Amino acid sequence: MSKANNEVIIEGRGLKRYYHRGIETVKALDGVDITIRKGEMVSILGPSGSGKTTLINILSCLDAPTDGTLNVAGKPVAGLKEDDLVEIRRGNLGFVFQQFHLLPTLTVTENVELPLLFLGKKPDPVHTREVLAMVGLSDRATHLPSELSGGQMQRVAIARALIIDSKILVADEPTGNLDRVSGEAIFQLFKKLVNEKGLAIIITTHNMAFGYEADRVITLEDGKIVKEERPPGKAQVG
Amino acid sequence: MYQLLGFAALAIKNLRRRVVRTVLTVAGVGLAVAVAVSLGGFMLGYREAINKSIEMLGFQVMIMAKGCPYEAATMMLKGGTGLLYLPGDTLDKVKNDPDIASITPVFVGVAQKEGSGIRDDGAPGATKDKSFTIISGIDAPSFVTMKPWLKFKGGAGYEGGRWFGAASKSEVVIGFEAAEYEQRKVGDTFYASITPNGATMPVRHEFKVVGVLERTGTQDDGTVFMPIDAAREFFNRPNQVTILGIKLKEFNQFKMREFENRWLKLPEVQVVGLQQVKNTLVGLVATAQTMIAAVAVIAVIVALIGVINTILMSVYERTGEIGIMKALGARRSDIFELIWLETLMICLFGALVGSLVAVIGTGVVERAIKSLANLGVSGSIVQITPGVIGYAILGAVILGFFGGLYPAWRAASMRPVDAIREGAA
Repeated sequence: MSKANNEVIIEGRGLKRYYHRGIETVKALDGVDITIRKGEMVSILGPSGSGKTTLINILSCLDAPTDGTLNVAGKPVAGLKEDDLVEIRRGNLGFVFQQFHLLPTLTVTENVELPLLFLGKKPDPVHTREVLAMVGLSDRATHLPSELSGGQMQRVAIARALIIDSKILVADEPTGNLDRVSGEAIFQLFKKLVNEKGLAIIITTHNMAFGYEADRVITLEDGKIVKEERPPGKAQVG
Repeated sequence: MYQLLGFAALAIKNLRRRVVRTVLTVAGVGLAVAVAVSLGGFMLGYREAINKSIEMLGFQVMIMAKGCPYEAATMMLKGGTGLLYLPGDTLDKVKNDPDIASITPVFVGVAQKEGSGIRDDGAPGATKDKSFTIISGIDAPSFVTMKPWLKFKGGAGYEGGRWFGAASKSEVVIGFEAAEYEQRKVGDTFYASITPNGATMPVRHEFKVVGVLERTGTQDDGTVFMPIDAAREFFNRPNQVTILGIKLKEFNQFKMREFENRWLKLPEVQVVGLQQVKNTLVGLVATAQTMIAAVAVIAVIVALIGVINTILMSVYERTGEIGIMKALGARRSDIFELIWLETLMICLFGALVGSLVAVIGTGVVERAIKSLANLGVSGSIVQITPGVIGYAILGAVILGFFGGLYPAWRAASMRPVDAIREGAA
């Protein structure tokens, strides 16, 4: 049972992202309206090139929309430059990627505590241990990423998002490089975080089975939302 | 502070990721710094060596036979042959000059040591096998007035050291190094073969060592002193002198010029101020120093290019990581600081390594320079002081400061979304 409530944490209206290649204009995102609430897990499905990653990049303030309005954690985002976008990401957003993207020279603990360095906060070893325990990596604290399995590396990335008490976790194809068992474990962890910590989690995935584990499923095609559904048994919120 | 330390730790880990590349880059910087430190040490050491050598001559002005003033000065500072002599009456003409505070005549000759041949100073190996010895005929009382620091060595075997009598023909005083080399103590016998002027065969003379001098760090250490009259007689140059060493009552450029003009009227005489000698000696190596400095500058530029290349490669390799760090909340300034720190660290490590190499290699550099050129001074000519090292390290850090700007700016300017995509490709 998710802890979803009415508090809107991301709201986008008429989001567009156009790229220009010579005289051609690529409409990666073409007028998307989307609302994400706290304590809600939302899957974004769609074929390759449908605009999933573009949408998730914009919702997570890694990129800015060409047009439309966007509010993230209560702050307007549209039209901001990178220097301003980073201020919204700091402390609000955590990221999980298909390629894991851990720093290979840092241990699990150091990777997890890395965002604190950029926030200028001194790590609290007790908090770090709690976060590692939550993702089931207590016994891997001093290991390097090269000594971990894919599933474990993905858990480190999740712990890295939790260490700063992110409100939003953005996961771009988080199970793309994992076997089915590890993928399921990651999704179970996502559910646990939504339920216990009230995180908003946005996931892009090709895997329909995993996608339908979410509270809400949005399907994109050619940069537009073509379907928005609530899997059976998931209560409507908001 | 915590953030700076955290970035520094992260920078060190990044540098350790490609150990060979980092070591080679540090070595490049180290080499450039070692050259710069050695050069700085040489410039400083050489000037000080000249100053000390000239100061320890005890004179402000020399009167000598016309010829190359540099050669004459070098001969006085370091020894040599090809000597020119002043007419014997020069001393009588000059000594009553009203501006002179004190004057001492010096007769210099070169003697063959027992069992060896006289060698010209320029001959290969001449200074290596020590087959000749410099004989300095002096007037002990006036000479010591000029060089009050000359002291007799004490201790076992050296007791009772004294200057010879003016009329003595069988007594010598030996400089510190000459005594060490010849293994002579007070009371020992010293043999020297001297070829009189106009003769072809040397005449063997036996002397008694009546004193051994303490080390002065000058040419006096390698000299054998005897009364000037005896030296003139043995070399068959009655009344001649090599130089007149003079201290003026008031020494300044104006007085020096007046004095010079007064005595340049003598046809066979030149008046050489020791400041002029100093300038000549410094000028002599200035060209060589400029060339070495040019090499050092090229080495520094090459090292700097190496550093920039290394850091740029590192930045490109870590494009994805930089994107992730920005996604996780790193500001442009954070990324800039991180990459900049890496550059500074390479330059700092290189500077420390280079300075260490320069300090350890001081002796080698000194021997190399001395074997390449006759610099006209004795004693150490390379002095690597904390100041020289400090400047070299500061210079390397400043270079790192500027060298790191472009790679750091490049990394800081990456858009996270592009960097992550490129890093994943």
